Amino acid sequence: MSGSWMTTRAWLLMLPLLAVMISVIGWPLVDTVRLSFTDARLVGTEGSFVGLDNYARMLSGANFQRTLVTTTWFAVISVAAEMVLGVLAALLLNQQFYGRTVLRALMILPWALPTVVNATLWRLIYNPEYGALNAALTQAGLLDAYRSWLGEPNTALAALIVADCWKNFPLVALIALAALQAVPRDITAASMVDGAGPIARFRFVILPYLVGPLLVALVLRTIEAFKVFDIIWVMTRGGPANSTRTLSILVYQEAFSFQRAGSGASLALIVTLLVTVLAVAYAALVRKAAGSAS
Amino acid sequence: MSALDIQNIRKSYGAVETLKGIDIALQSGEFLVLLGSSGCGKSTLLNIIAGLAEATSGDIRIAGRSILGVHPKDRDIAMVFQSYALYPNLSVRRNIGFGLEMRKVPLAEREKAVAEASRLLQIEPLLDRKPSQLSGGQRQRVAIGRALVRKPQVFLFDEPLSNLDAKLRLEMRTELKRLHQILKTTVVYVTHDQIEAMTLATRIAVMKDGRIEQLGTPEEIYNQPATLYVAGFVGAPPMNMIDVEVDNGALRIVGSEVRLRLPDRFRPLLQAPVVQDKTRLALGIRPEALRLASLDQAGDQAGGHVLPVRIEVVELTGPELVATARIGPQKLTACLAPRARVGQGDVAAFAVDDDALHLFDPATGQALLA
Ligand SMILES: Nc1ncnc2c1ncn2[C@@H]1O[C@H](COP(=O)(O)OP(=O)(O)OP(=O)(O)O)[C@@H](O)[C@H]1O
Ligand SMILES: [Mg+2]
Repeated sequence: MSGSWMTTRAWLLMLPLLAVMISVIGWPLVDTVRLSFTDARLVGTEGSFVGLDNYARMLSGANFQRTLVTTTWFAVISVAAEMVLGVLAALLLNQQFYGRTVLRALMILPWALPTVVNATLWRLIYNPEYGALNAALTQAGLLDAYRSWLGEPNTALAALIVADCWKNFPLVALIALAALQAVPRDITAASMVDGAGPIARFRFVILPYLVGPLLVALVLRTIEAFKVFDIIWVMTRGGPANSTRTLSILVYQEAFSFQRAGSGASLALIVTLLVTVLAVAYAALVRKAAGSAS
Repeated sequence: MSALDIQNIRKSYGAVETLKGIDIALQSGEFLVLLGSSGCGKSTLLNIIAGLAEATSGDIRIAGRSILGVHPKDRDIAMVFQSYALYPNLSVRRNIGFGLEMRKVPLAEREKAVAEASRLLQIEPLLDRKPSQLSGGQRQRVAIGRALVRKPQVFLFDEPLSNLDAKLRLEMRTELKRLHQILKTTVVYVTHDQIEAMTLATRIAVMKDGRIEQLGTPEEIYNQPATLYVAGFVGAPPMNMIDVEVDNGALRIVGSEVRLRLPDRFRPLLQAPVVQDKTRLALGIRPEALRLASLDQAGDQAGGHVLPVRIEVVELTGPELVATARIGPQKLTACLAPRARVGQGDVAAFAVDDDALHLFDPATGQALLA
């Protein structure tokens, strides 16, 4: 009895929030679904119902497929590098040394910066005329002439990945560092007495405590990397020659640059679906890892 | 040559000195228990022996060889931790064999050693489980097994039984004693449980504030406590400490007219003269040294004394009756036979032998003529 009264009150209290969420998330989502079945343009025509035409055209188009490949490359390489860098940084910062606290604080900095600031910073570094990278490489004798890192199709994506890693590895490092501090001292001590070297210790003593938290980091980072938009938009806008065009950029171009709201909506929903599948698969993975750890 | 020689070990954390010069020499096969209350530096000393912490000064030798600066894995020691410290994702089998695996001992030999240890510890059915699938007692056995297979010169135990419930602790204590009798390896064992210390040790080092208060066999620690601290720490209920005053060659219980003849073995103190008339001393009597006696015998007897008391509380613990009494204003606890006929408020008498009297200097805490 008091249960139902409590439930009623709970719903009443939630109502304002629900109203806001329905109006800013729910309604646009429903409208996007509706749009995706029409040939609506951003301005002018309301569009008429075209069934699954948009989806068929988008999925079979060369643009979509090429973009999917680019996005996957971007996500896989940047996330893998972030995981490795993050764990290494965490292992280092978990050692006892002078100035550790300062270094720990400094490490957070790239991640704390707004993406736009970070992207702008890296544009400066990559600048073909006065960029620091060109200067450093030529002065070290590794490069003959200045290059346009972001202007050449075969280096632009790699340059973006480096910038993204620099921004996001601190998150992984932070999570890994917290996990490292949960490794019981006694077990580390026991492994020393047992004669485990650094590699065996990492594998048998440290890794079991890292796996769970790292999986969470992996999930978060993969989903974010798959949806990446801002850093690329600021640095290359998907160019040159579409070599850095990811799915989110493609959605933007379709819907806003080419003003095809209908097919843009269908593309957005496809991306949403892909990310959802990833998220669900990962969630299952995390649950499984958590189950085997305890 | 000693199996383990601890020479003037000191350890400071910043300005705080945690160990203030520890000296112990152990013969091969000895079972040394480091006994002391929390924070007295037991674990610190054990970790220094293991090589997990570094001493500020002093030396440690195992079989004559100094092991300062030697990596823990090369010290020929094995350690069992309070938290068991098992590797969570390895099977029991691999946990036990881990030290051998890391030392590149061939698989067949490893398997044999693991089988032998698990038979000794009766954990053969558990070998393929993960630590998370074991009970506390089973985990502790695995942790002991992991130390056993190494066949080290010295075993180090840091409160290995303190995470177990009372019944299991008793069982494992007996088990450890049995193992030590079979293996005859030198052991250093840390605990703050005095029963564990008394039952397991061949020698006990009672520690306080980073110093050794007394180093001796369990019998010596119990029967001839060297200081007030040791006397109070070992024994339950703790030794009664009664304020007495030297009065014409006798001991008068402060606050009453009860006088005890000074036992013969303390006589030389009067001549020395270590104690003079009116000197205040602490008279120690173990509760279990007191017997119920008849009140009309009150006074000095041949080889002993009968003290008149007033009973305040009686508690039957099962095997014994613990009576809390007053002698004058001072408290006196006695462990009596369970059927002793005393009740609250009774006026009664406790008998005690001369041999069971201990005298301490309250100023220095040292026993007089232990
Ligand atoms: N790493 C450290 N840094 C500073 N002080 C420490 C450190 N390790 C131990 N100490 C101090 O040294 C003293 C002795 O600690 P130790 O762990 O040896 O006590 P213990 O006798 O084992 O106690 P317990 O029975 O609680 O385990 C304590 O006062 C503790 O605070
Ligand atoms: Mg301790």
